[in-house]
Amino acid sequence: MAPYRRDARHSAPSLPLGSTLAGIPPSAARVGRWLLAVMLAILPLAPFAAPALAASIVPPERAVSFTADVVPILTKAGCNMGACHAKAGGGQNGFQLSLLGFQPDEDYDHLLKEARGRRVSTAAPEQSLLLLKATASVPHGGGQRIAPDSDAHRVLLRWIGEGAGLGPEDLPALDKLIVEPAGMTLAPGASQALRAIARHVDGSTRDVTALALYESNDRARAEVDGAGLVTVSSIPGTAAVMVRFQGQVAVATCTVPHGPSLAELPTPRNFIDEHVFERCRAVGVPLSPECDDATFLRRVSLDVTGSIPTAAEAEAFLADSAPDKRERLVDRLLASPGYADWFANKWTALLKNRRDDASDTVSNFAFHSWVRDSLLANKPYDRFVRELLAATGTIVENPPVAWYKRVKEPKDQIEDVAQLFLGVRIGCAQCHHHPFERWSQNDYHGLAAYFSQVGRRSTSTRGEDLIFHKRGVAAAVNPKTSAKISPSALGTPEGPIPADEDPRLRLADWLVRPDNPFFARALVNRYWKHFLGRGLVEPEDDLRDTNPPTNPALLDGLAESFRQSKYDLKRLVRTIVLSRTYQTSAVPLEGNADDLQHFSHFLPRRLPAEVLLDSIDAVTGSSTTFANLPAGTRAIALPDTSYNRSSPFLQVFGRPDGQSVCECERVQSSSLSQSLHLLSAADIKGKLSADGGRADRLSKDNSTDPERIREVFLATFARLPTDAEMAQAVGVIAEPRPSPDGQPLPEPQARRENLEDLLWALLNAKEFLFNH
Amino acid sequence: MSHSNPVRRFASRWCGVWSFALLLAAVSVADLRAQSVCLPLPRLLTLVPAGAQKPREGGTTTVEVKVTGEALDGWDAGGETVLPRLLFSHPGLTATPVLSAEGKGEKDRFLVSIASDVPPGLHDARMMTGLGVSSPRVFTVGLHPETLRTAANTTSATAFPLGLGMVCNAQATAQAADYYRLELQQGQRVVVDCAARGIESKLRPVLILADATGADLVAERRGGLLDFTAPATATYLVKLHDLSFQGGPECYYRLLAHDLPAGAPLPERQAAVAPVLAFSWPPPGLPAKAAVEEIEGSDPSAAQQVTLPLDLGGRFFPAADVDSFEFEATAGEVWWIEVASERLAAPTNPAIVVERRLPAPSGGAPATFEDVAELSDIAAPIKPSTNHYAYDGPPYEAGSADCLGRLEIKETGTHRLQIRDLFGGTRDEPEAIYRLLIRKAQPDFALVCWPLHMELRNGDRAALSKPLALRGGGTVSLEVAAIRRDGFDGPIELAVSGLPEGVGATGLRIPAGATRGQILLTAAESPPRNLASVSITGRGTADGEALERPCRLAGQCWPIRDGWSEIPFPRLLADATISAGGSEPSPLTLRTTGAGATAAMALEAVEGSTVSVPLELVQRAGVQGATLQMRVIGPGFDQIPGFEFDVAAPKALAIDLAKLKIPPGDHAFALVTSAVTKYAPVVAGQATPPAPTDIAEILVSTPIHVRVTPALPVSPAAKEATP
Repeated sequence: MAPYRRDARHSAPSLPLGSTLAGIPPSAARVGRWLLAVMLAILPLAPFAAPALAASIVPPERAVSFTADVVPILTKAGCNMGACHAKAGGGQNGFQLSLLGFQPDEDYDHLLKEARGRRVSTAAPEQSLLLLKATASVPHGGGQRIAPDSDAHRVLLRWIGEGAGLGPEDLPALDKLIVEPAGMTLAPGASQALRAIARHVDGSTRDVTALALYESNDRARAEVDGAGLVTVSSIPGTAAVMVRFQGQVAVATCTVPHGPSLAELPTPRNFIDEHVFERCRAVGVPLSPECDDATFLRRVSLDVTGSIPTAAEAEAFLADSAPDKRERLVDRLLASPGYADWFANKWTALLKNRRDDASDTVSNFAFHSWVRDSLLANKPYDRFVRELLAATGTIVENPPVAWYKRVKEPKDQIEDVAQLFLGVRIGCAQCHHHPFERWSQNDYHGLAAYFSQVGRRSTSTRGEDLIFHKRGVAAAVNPKTSAKISPSALGTPEGPIPADEDPRLRLADWLVRPDNPFFARALVNRYWKHFLGRGLVEPEDDLRDTNPPTNPALLDGLAESFRQSKYDLKRLVRTIVLSRTYQTSAVPLEGNADDLQHFSHFLPRRLPAEVLLDSIDAVTGSSTTFANLPAGTRAIALPDTSYNRSSPFLQVFGRPDGQSVCECERVQSSSLSQSLHLLSAADIKGKLSADGGRADRLSKDNSTDPERIREVFLATFARLPTDAEMAQAVGVIAEPRPSPDGQPLPEPQARRENLEDLLWALLNAKEFLFNH
Repeated sequence: MSHSNPVRRFASRWCGVWSFALLLAAVSVADLRAQSVCLPLPRLLTLVPAGAQKPREGGTTTVEVKVTGEALDGWDAGGETVLPRLLFSHPGLTATPVLSAEGKGEKDRFLVSIASDVPPGLHDARMMTGLGVSSPRVFTVGLHPETLRTAANTTSATAFPLGLGMVCNAQATAQAADYYRLELQQGQRVVVDCAARGIESKLRPVLILADATGADLVAERRGGLLDFTAPATATYLVKLHDLSFQGGPECYYRLLAHDLPAGAPLPERQAAVAPVLAFSWPPPGLPAKAAVEEIEGSDPSAAQQVTLPLDLGGRFFPAADVDSFEFEATAGEVWWIEVASERLAAPTNPAIVVERRLPAPSGGAPATFEDVAELSDIAAPIKPSTNHYAYDGPPYEAGSADCLGRLEIKETGTHRLQIRDLFGGTRDEPEAIYRLLIRKAQPDFALVCWPLHMELRNGDRAALSKPLALRGGGTVSLEVAAIRRDGFDGPIELAVSGLPEGVGATGLRIPAGATRGQILLTAAESPPRNLASVSITGRGTADGEALERPCRLAGQCWPIRDGWSEIPFPRLLADATISAGGSEPSPLTLRTTGAGATAAMALEAVEGSTVSVPLELVQRAGVQGATLQMRVIGPGFDQIPGFEFDVAAPKALAIDLAKLKIPPGDHAFALVTSAVTKYAPVVAGQATPPAPTDIAEILVSTPIHVRVTPALPVSPAAKEATP
């Protein structure tokens, strides 16, 4: 341990926040990657000149089909991407196409019936503006998209020459897209060509490799070109390549092993370990050893209750030699109010329990309490969601109604429900077919129809409505087609719902149907990330076919276990934290240091804002006062987000403001301002030197310096100091201190200030700031 | 201490900025307070304790009660100070001042005696003060022994022992929880009941049952009962706090822990005041118990067979419960359906659909139905105000989420009535009871009234809490709302009897088909100081039979000064007590001069003519502004457009009876405005009154009476002669 000095708080700020400090915040990086992927998807870099296209996809014995042949060419060429002619509000230069060709009928009309018919000239096909622009024979803002005399060009020319009709009417509809191989293990730097097969409803197939779009979800691990050739890098791990064609998607995964398959693995403790170990064995990632008792105590206390253990708790746990002490600890933590406080804190932020006005106070407190009490009582998760989705009445009488105060529009209701409880981001499908998914506008409005009979009536409280079921047949209208859409749950038609029945209850019923592929998976993935630091699917609320889990068997196993337990959240937590996987050390081995996907070692993470504040209070023996709340209220128990405004600490460390249902709103990255705050902010200094605080108390009691140091280490790290740490800390505490006038301070005062210095140093250590 | 540290320098600078900002804020607040709303009125706000145990037969219970409130001082009578009096709505409740050590009576402490004939439940307490009678506060007469928490109990170490079966009176501590200790045996069941909103407290109680360390075990946050069975013999804690940790004297409560055997039904809740909307229940003559009970069968889709008429009791339980009843009805029959559930204090929103079973399809297909009638809410007779910045209507909801409507049978056959709770999709609440009535028409009405208020625009809701304390020369208007039952459509005449001396009352009739009326209470110029509990009634005729129905008085529980963060809540009062006289006269009197001032000397006019109403504003205090914006209340006359009243030179109001289509007969109306007066309180023994302040207050004129005589019939010859 380096020597610590109070003046070092200003002069030697060894940045304590770990390897991510100087990097891009994870959430920002994730968004950035996503944006990059989208940009790449919408702006193909090279003109479309796929080989052997004409022969492979347009048999000479049939006429060219606009839907089956022409639109895929335009899609492959990037004409109907969001930044080009599918741009909302008129496309480019008055030429509008539907996004990715999802509306071929509209595209046909745009091409043939607008611009006075100049875009397609059947009399002189070569002079069609469509071809002249695409080949850049005339100025084109998008440059050359199709090479002259390429197969694509020839197909378009042939189509126009055949009269530019819609083509054969008897072509079978596309049923499914198949990619081959769907999974592959490649050596570093190796390549593999993908083959895309379109299967039709009549069973016939067609090779659409040249027409399909390809995109890697991890370009650092795998690149894919326009022809479907995948090339992996030397970084071990798994990447997925999304293949799209005509609204259908398929995915191929490619894995670069970390090393040879493992022969020896620890004994699994439950099914989680079986799945994780099997995956590690397959990709050759060795597992770090099991963490020690102190690490487990601190880790599980933080993850389950949002609190660090007290010195007494740590001492008792370390002294306990019973073989089942970890199980008993977990049971105790799950039964404690801290569990309810901590997870209520998580859920209320996601459910947007924010205070925009003083009149929100009562409803926010009521809603927070409902969430907390539900967790304390271990209300089954399906019931919790049902009570929220189908809430009626007033907030004070039925607090989940508060969700309808924050999420007023049906559009927001279904998008939040889909993202939060189903892990489906369906927002895109409001306006067009989802580009990365199977969701159509009808799927979107089918989901909206469940909320079509939500009645509202204003109450005495400003901004607050009472919610009731409005009698009537549930339906929504697809604004594009004006078609009336009946309730349909992401591809599962509901069937008729009587006018007297609240359709939201049907949606809640569907959530818990055994064949629901989303509900249980979304929750277990969210909780897995909470405890393991990374979701089996990332981001945790973006479950889709094209974003496959890193361990599908584990995700399925967790979901099935959760269903079997009747959606018992505490049992899920217990299953996860008692696995050997969760108890793996954060110290990486040589062979798994770069593994971030297979949970071969624990992924350390900075303490969340509220937890960090509470932990500092606990270590220093002080407390933080929050307006109009009882003294001693912990930050993890705050009822809503309003306290962020008055707490620079919570702001700096990224407590979410409840604006979105995305966990990414919580800032878990590190920053210079965080370091400076911990080093020198007035509130931290005040806590260190608080009268009655730990430093003050220890400086006055009868214990010896080693006993004091022991307590400080137990309270801070939940472990005893090493001999070296003890020796150094004893030196720090015993050191004389000069007063400002150069005279030595009285011994008790010097000891107190030295203890403050010691506490300050420990608070700024990574071991304290991180859950590891 | 010098601020050498840059962080501290920064903080110091910000402190300065904040101080300046606070100073500005304080100035602004002071400026805003330069004009307040509502003249000082006596308001009884708290009674500690808020109840006492009913004595045994023939006995008396005496309890010392401390009161707090606004303007509760006594008065000066010939140089002698008279103490305020504490009064109750039941004569068996009496109070005398507690005598100090010097033998003098104290103005805020009373010995309250409860005679054995006082029924258990809630009774209204009021103070008779220098400014007249105060607003009421409920006082509970209960069946359980009572105790008063006497010391702070905000930690587990200071937990107050809670005796089972004993009521503990206390007030919630702000930003803390009150701790109570229970010693329970393993398997022992306790049900904890906290009376708060039901006894007008501002507290929204949260009850948490915790173990001896304070760790929460069970919580009840919606004001319901907390039902707990001890898992082990141990000490347990009841933690009680406000939902948002408010506290103080206005957050009082009465905590009662019942000791119940396992499986026993939940105990009856402590008595609670009735919400305003309850005034329309029950219909006259309805038995306390329903004739038929709902049968919850194993098949929730099966209908219960019933016959009409029907009086049935049921419940919306479990969640998403739909109760179906089938009955035979004949074409041409007309039935009236009424449901009470919200009016029975259940947290529900009942809805009814009546369908006719269609002829059975062939092949054993399920029966099909067609809609016949759909009933939901009882519309508010007067649209209540929103609680936004401008308070532009009565803050009283007299409508209900219950149902009341007509069912006309079009075709003879089997009919199915389905009743469901629109709030009940996910709520498993056994207390969600209802009473369903299907009856032949029994035309009737129910009435409720409240003091009329001025339009408010500053978030100050204090003016809504009004005792009926009439200053000399003042007029108070009661706004009356009517719920009409079973097609009753006739006019309703309003009257008040048993008035205190020096007070007159004029009912402004509720016209046929209308749901709104007024009653004007006018004090004489210098009435003697006195009070009386009055009877307010409405009279009508249905099917040739005279009906006389009571009109309940409603009032706001609290003077709310910040409507942005606190929602006013009203209730039905136990009685209507009116006082006249007092230390201060009304600052303004708006009245007619000469004819029209009383019913005996009404203005006389011929049908279709124009009548001129001379007006006079008596100013006992200055009025701000040169004009007042007047509007008219009273049947028929309320169509007169608003007009400006010249304060310095009032003009007569010309009323075109033809335009208003006022028929022959006796009529009355009044003018209403709001005025800002220069108010200076009368302080006993102080020769120089304090500097006046501007106070905005509603101003209602004395009633204006008009007798319209029929126009002489015009002969056909005269008609022809008319160009």
